[in-house]
Amino acid sequence: MSIDHTKCDITGMVERHIMVAVDTSDNARRAVLFVADFFGCYEGFQVTLLHIILEPEATFFRDNDERQKWLAEHREDSRKIMEEYKYILLDAGFQEGKVKIRIETMRAPSVADCILKEQEIMKCCTIVIGRRGISKKEEFIFGSTSNRIIHEARKCAVLVIE
Amino acid sequence: MAISVKKTMDSTYSVAQLKEFIAERLGARFVPQRFKIVTDTSDFFHVDYNDVCVLDGIPYLMLNYMREGRFGLDDEPKYWVRKAVDLLNGSRKIIKLVFHEEIEARIGDIVFKCVRSPGKEADILKLVKGHPNFMQGTAVLDKAGNIIRILENIRGKQLDDIVYRLNEDHEEYFFQHLPGLLKIFIGLVEAIKFLHDHGHKHGDIRRDHILHDRENKCYRWIDFDYDYIHMASMFGYDLFGLGNILIFLVGGGDLTIQQLTAEKAPALQNLAAEDMNIIFNNRVANIQKIYPYVPDALNYILLHFSNGANLYYENTEQLLEDFEDVQINA
Repeated sequence: MSIDHTKCDITGMVERHIMVAVDTSDNARRAVLFVADFFGCYEGFQVTLLHIILEPEATFFRDNDERQKWLAEHREDSRKIMEEYKYILLDAGFQEGKVKIRIETMRAPSVADCILKEQEIMKCCTIVIGRRGISKKEEFIFGSTSNRIIHEARKCAVLVIE
Repeated sequence: MAISVKKTMDSTYSVAQLKEFIAERLGARFVPQRFKIVTDTSDFFHVDYNDVCVLDGIPYLMLNYMREGRFGLDDEPKYWVRKAVDLLNGSRKIIKLVFHEEIEARIGDIVFKCVRSPGKEADILKLVKGHPNFMQGTAVLDKAGNIIRILENIRGKQLDDIVYRLNEDHEEYFFQHLPGLLKIFIGLVEAIKFLHDHGHKHGDIRRDHILHDRENKCYRWIDFDYDYIHMASMFGYDLFGLGNILIFLVGGGDLTIQQLTAEKAPALQNLAAEDMNIIFNNRVANIQKIYPYVPDALNYILLHFSNGANLYYENTEQLLEDFEDVQINA
């Protein structure tokens, strides 16, 4: 009898469902490569590649055309990179149906808030995220997504890839 | 765009009528011989001194442009920000025309893209209507759809000028004036919390962006048109600005390495890299090392903005909570 590892456990989390929170940066690619290397050869894992496009307020743009252009460019960049990441995972042994792509455009105080919200909805057991390696000054002013995830994620494991 | 601003009406005033208004409000000798009636302000460089802009049906006599000093440089002209007179009631206004500027903001060695957003400022003006800690005004659309902000003129000094004028022995300043200044500062932080709670950031928190309104006896934040794309923390830049102002207030001015060296201050030898401001590395943040009577609870707050900090404020609420423990007793 085969075991369906995607069933929920007693905490409500979906077993062996890994969320890889990515963007278009090199550190996100490292996170994807890590998941490919470590989990690609095992059966029963499912992966959701999540890219949050944090949309600025409408007033950030001169007009709606500029806003639409910004959104279209970011969505297109995201789509391309996500296809590439998906290919990396499939190439490492993940089954086609077990790798999902999710691109969400959101307005929120931080990307971390969005990732945590998505984790709650999808009930993933693990969040994998790349560390940007920002300076202390940058973290002070703009914050650190990975730090927020480490401190605020609940009912899941967090892997931060250097 | 989710901006609710009134569309301006076309000019219905004749030149003769406007001359009459100007004479009535300012005196006959101020009536210009020639002037333009402007309803489309897109090219703000062509809105000249003594032109009349008609916005939302109200004629405004346009006067000088405003200036702004930054980082010790000479005042820079802001050609899109003009002094003006409402010709219907004679009140003084500041009129901000639209300037879509993209700025590479630099804080220490961090560079990021900022824009001037008239829409953001218009939204905030609407939100803070009647709030004593913010500049007041309305936003209207000109004939070309530009979002023009018509601001109440604030008569009074900048907060930093007030502190400079209290230029006396630090200990005296600290015990005589700082408690009152901190009370004002806490009120200003609460005002920023109000913005944040409504999903807005100020975007350009600096000590010269706080004006003392002499008439209404309150301190007001001004200039909230800066915007930038935040990623991990929407409010971090605002908190950085608040920290800088607090360090300035507690120090009674900026305490720089250069200044301490020039004064041959003995405390200089005790200072280490972690005592300095996290961004401006020549400014002392650990002020207790210079002035030992700074109480621990207050210095603890300052240390959040120092190089040695491992923990930063993520929101104004955390900062305000720490102020609850601060007491200054002579």
